[in-house]
Amino acid sequence: MQETAWGWLIISYLFLAGAGSGAFVAAAACDLFAPDWSKALARAGSLVSGPLVAIGTMCLFFDLEAGFWQPWRQIYLVSNLSSMISWGVLVLSVFIPVAVLYAAALNDISVVGRFAKRYVRLLAAVGSFLALATAGYTGVLIAVVNGVPFWNTPVIPVLFLASAMSTGLAIAMICAAVIDINTIRSLSNLALGHLVLLTVEGIVLMLFIFISLTRSSEAAASAMALISGAFSPLFWVFVVMLGILVPFALSAVEYYEYGRLPKSLVVAADLLILVGGMSLRALIIFSASPPQII
Amino acid sequence: MPRYGLVIDTTRCIGCHSCRVACQNQQGLPSDRSFNWIKEKDSGKFPAFEKEFVPLQCNQCENPPCLRVCPTGAIYASPEGAILVHENRCVGCKYCMEACPYKVRMIDDHKGISVKCWFCIDLVRAGGEPACVSTCPTQVRIFGDLDDPASKVSRFIAKHRAQPLRSDLNTQPKIFYKRS
Repeated sequence: MQETAWGWLIISYLFLAGAGSGAFVAAAACDLFAPDWSKALARAGSLVSGPLVAIGTMCLFFDLEAGFWQPWRQIYLVSNLSSMISWGVLVLSVFIPVAVLYAAALNDISVVGRFAKRYVRLLAAVGSFLALATAGYTGVLIAVVNGVPFWNTPVIPVLFLASAMSTGLAIAMICAAVIDINTIRSLSNLALGHLVLLTVEGIVLMLFIFISLTRSSEAAASAMALISGAFSPLFWVFVVMLGILVPFALSAVEYYEYGRLPKSLVVAADLLILVGGMSLRALIIFSASPPQII
Repeated sequence: MPRYGLVIDTTRCIGCHSCRVACQNQQGLPSDRSFNWIKEKDSGKFPAFEKEFVPLQCNQCENPPCLRVCPTGAIYASPEGAILVHENRCVGCKYCMEACPYKVRMIDDHKGISVKCWFCIDLVRAGGEPACVSTCPTQVRIFGDLDDPASKVSRFIAKHRAQPLRSDLNTQPKIFYKRS
């Protein structure tokens, strides 16, 4: 009897789709509200968003069994609108092209970019909505699973949404630094974004653990595995310390000591947020325990 | 149309695994694969130690979580109430395996689709019983029509107030258990 069906491919998808949609929201927000000094981030965020979500979708494809060997079967994937996967397929298949068009518009890529530029506001609005839908959906996907009590709570989509926004901002900042390392000084303004998002993520994570401890014996067993059981070293080191506390501290220094934090540490904070986001999803998937049935 | 169900009397089960072997033979499964299992529950301390054998397989739920989450619509309920899988529609996304609270689903390695107990519906339609039922040497299992109050299975459930596993999950299983 197999107790866990999903593994690293699904975890990678949850992470990549979250980071990709978060990067889109970060790019759109920068482009709409601060186009003068955050151009590099808007360009970088929009450029990575579509590919990240597309790579995540490839992970889903590789995780299929019969649908991988006989890809034409995937036509059936939208047959059941009470299934979150059907909704996910619809959202992803609209979001990825919108994200690519938006990237083309912001980066003036060929004739497509010139065409898309005329609708750049519309693309930003529709894309942001779809990005939030994608990020939230990765949480709803596992939150509706009543075969795993630990996941079966509306806090999960909120947690994944918060984590998606913070990992998205982080990857957009890393890519902005790759495009133009001098931009990093102006990016110190965005450290405030990290402070807010990491705070929200930390609080929601705390709520999730506390609620799980009292919700049911199975959810409590999973939560205990994270905070004091088999997964606790990984949870405290990778999710809490490296994923939230250290980047929070670095971002705080970066924000208050405007622009004086070494560039390597700015990028390090962003990388750590990515490590934390991936670890969070992996641990939530692997700590799932099935209902006590006998 | 009958609505098939099963009642399992764990007080008679000796844990011999005949049902498992019969199922493997009937379904042509390899020795490490099976559509039914015998779970063991220990309680008490010596000398009042007790071990209960609880045979487990797909509960053929009236409100199946696997069917609800299946994106391709491959999972469906037969007219007799057995939960079946369209072999040509399933893509193997494994969402049903996560959704099933009883964790009785698995991937068929050759076909790449999600499979499980299907009440031997081919045997049943031909007038027989599922292999696990006809094989059981201690008559733990009674199979029959739940809609017919005079059937053996309905009378047994009524008489012993047999309950499904985890009825609080609202999956409304069609397998009932008499456990004491």
